[in-house]
Amino acid sequence: MKKECIAMLLAGGQGSRLHALTDKAAKPIIPFGGKYRIIDFPLSNCANSGVDVVGVLTQYQPLHLNSYIGNGQPWDLDLQRGGAYILPPYQSAGAKGEWFSGTANAIYQNIDFIEMWEPEYVLVLSGDHIYKMDYSDMLRQHKANKADCSIAVLRVPLEDASRFGIMEVGEEGYISKFVEKPKVPESDLASMGIYIFTWAKLREYLIADENDPSSDKDFGKNIIPSMLSAGEKLWPYRFSGYWRDVGTVQSLWDANMDMLSPTLINLYDRSWPIRSRSPIKPPHYVGENALIENSILTEGCDLRGRVQNSVLGNSVTVFEGAAVLNSVLMPGCVIEMGAVVQYAIIGENARVGSGAVVGSPPNGEDSWGITTCRPDSHIPDGTIVSPGAMIYSNREVKK
Amino acid sequence: MIDLHGIIYAYHSDPALNELVVHRTSASLPFCSRYRLIDFALSAMTNAGVRDVGVIMQNNYQSLLDHLEGGKDWDLSRGSGGLSLLPPYGLHDSSFGRYNGCMSALYAIRSYIADIRQDNIVLYRSDLAVNLDLKEAFRSHVSSDSVITAVCAEKVNNCTSGFCFLSGENSRSNQMVFAPYGQEGLSSMEVYIIRKSVLISLIDWCRANGKIHFHRDALAHYLENGGTIGLYRHTGYCAQIASITDYYSASMDMLTQSLKSELFPKNRPVYTKGRSSVSTYYAKEARVRNCLIADGCYIEGKLENCIVFRGVRVKQGATLKNCIIMQDAIIGENASLECVISDKETVFSAGLVLTGSSKLPITVPKGKII
Repeated sequence: MKKECIAMLLAGGQGSRLHALTDKAAKPIIPFGGKYRIIDFPLSNCANSGVDVVGVLTQYQPLHLNSYIGNGQPWDLDLQRGGAYILPPYQSAGAKGEWFSGTANAIYQNIDFIEMWEPEYVLVLSGDHIYKMDYSDMLRQHKANKADCSIAVLRVPLEDASRFGIMEVGEEGYISKFVEKPKVPESDLASMGIYIFTWAKLREYLIADENDPSSDKDFGKNIIPSMLSAGEKLWPYRFSGYWRDVGTVQSLWDANMDMLSPTLINLYDRSWPIRSRSPIKPPHYVGENALIENSILTEGCDLRGRVQNSVLGNSVTVFEGAAVLNSVLMPGCVIEMGAVVQYAIIGENARVGSGAVVGSPPNGEDSWGITTCRPDSHIPDGTIVSPGAMIYSNREVKK
Repeated sequence: MIDLHGIIYAYHSDPALNELVVHRTSASLPFCSRYRLIDFALSAMTNAGVRDVGVIMQNNYQSLLDHLEGGKDWDLSRGSGGLSLLPPYGLHDSSFGRYNGCMSALYAIRSYIADIRQDNIVLYRSDLAVNLDLKEAFRSHVSSDSVITAVCAEKVNNCTSGFCFLSGENSRSNQMVFAPYGQEGLSSMEVYIIRKSVLISLIDWCRANGKIHFHRDALAHYLENGGTIGLYRHTGYCAQIASITDYYSASMDMLTQSLKSELFPKNRPVYTKGRSSVSTYYAKEARVRNCLIADGCYIEGKLENCIVFRGVRVKQGATLKNCIIMQDAIIGENASLECVISDKETVFSAGLVLTGSSKLPITVPKGKII
């Protein structure tokens, strides 16, 4: 079947900098912003942009990711002619099965899947960014430029630029230089990890890269630089809306807190809905003595205590006398009587015992950080968990 | 697989629901922040493992169609069986597609009933707020070898239109009485499990004799001829919603934890149509006490004892007390509402004051801008 453009969504990464939160599930399905999971953003963007074939490349801890995506129905990707496809690493005839060794290798191993759709263009996305983007506009520009590759770019403060892949753009408007995480950045145009390739070109480079034993099989490190040095036309696609990478505990917390400022990213916009697979739960209940301020609540919650400046997923219970401040509570958490949770991220179905104190406000010390508790962990009654700590079930790991 | 087929009557609009049923039937009346009444019937079927469900509709069913879609939210979108929508297709005579009574509605779908692959059928009202354990009711139907089982409510919350059964030996009844004030017998929830062959013969008997009512005609005829009815007692919450006051009081019941957990027990979830929306945002000024609130709302005002549906916006300084506010309503700055039932997509202007009472709540029709 013929499709002009299909998407390949890289969702196999471990997200190792999130440690405790990702030790049982891949980063793209970490709950986010109350109602969502990270992968909802690229999936919804695809559906809203009219990209209706999405190959989701999975590798690390795929169980929850697979069942979350299922048949793609929440994103209108349950189609007879197209839809969402889970693409795990596989064993091929005569050969031993192979893990995806890098982002480029993951796409390489799925050349057969891509060719099923005879696409002109392939959109390569990653599953760890929060943003709304119309990929069809990017595709329009890619075609108008007759580009071989288009890379979505965003202006970032120069002092942060060394955390990103940085692009320099020549007078003709196309990319003249690409440096992955430069020590001394010479430009403030950062790659957002969103690429559109003309498929025939990408195919060529993927095969060449696969045959290069010294390559890391990575888009940013190998494919893009070799296309540039061969003189292919790589164009920037400038994006100016909200975009956040949520690869670290701090950035995940920051981006969740951004959701408390609905002016930063408008999720109420019905013309660009971000959809999610959410369990059908009764409405949330706010009790007689509860206090809820500047917070996000989701269905199924039962709140009797104090919640301020926090983001709560579905089915969170906050007992009377408990306080949740400046924190992210993932679905199913229970905060018992008198417990205080501050500047923390609490994983799914974790339980904070009564009188426990988790985290503290910034105190100026270098060791301070957001406290995280692993999904399903149980903080015993009265325990004090210091700021920046990361709780793996009952083992406490100091930062 | 359970040998039970579901038929839901969804064609009825209780006139005492006034403005709330102008654009819909009782079956699609929004309830408890995110549900429609028919969700309780459909979820009871799904939770019991019923695979095939027919929904009888007659007119004013656009909102119901929109809600049910193909039945996927109840796992009833199936290649074989699943949800069947039954508009009045089988009436050839002078009734002009209108059902005068339950038996004429069943007659209109007689060919559908004849083709049902199960031997038992549950006839289900769709104006009940009840979480029935249909699996248990069916087990009782089978184990007592009943031809007809009536589901009765133990706890009557304005339930039933008055038919009660006098219990005889072994929880069976051969006597039906009309006792609208619950004076005697067990109140029927008007949910019946009945053998398919018996239902068809009752439909045919009613047709031949010009009878149209289920209780007065069909059941009475069955009992007169020596039939007995098995009784299954439902012990949890049950409210029949036949008027604005019923609706208001059943809604407010949900603010009582014990009643809410009877209607939404963990082991029998209530499914409804999903709607993608964001979580609800509470601003710094928000003050909320004893409320049920759905997703997608934006709350800056003060709410007490309210049931709030999806996508409602309560602006700064607005005060809501004892109100039911349906989907996508906007409450303007400093508006003050008490005992108001607002239908969907209404707008209350800034500073507006509306005060009803719990006995006579003010009902604001869909889309009204005040």
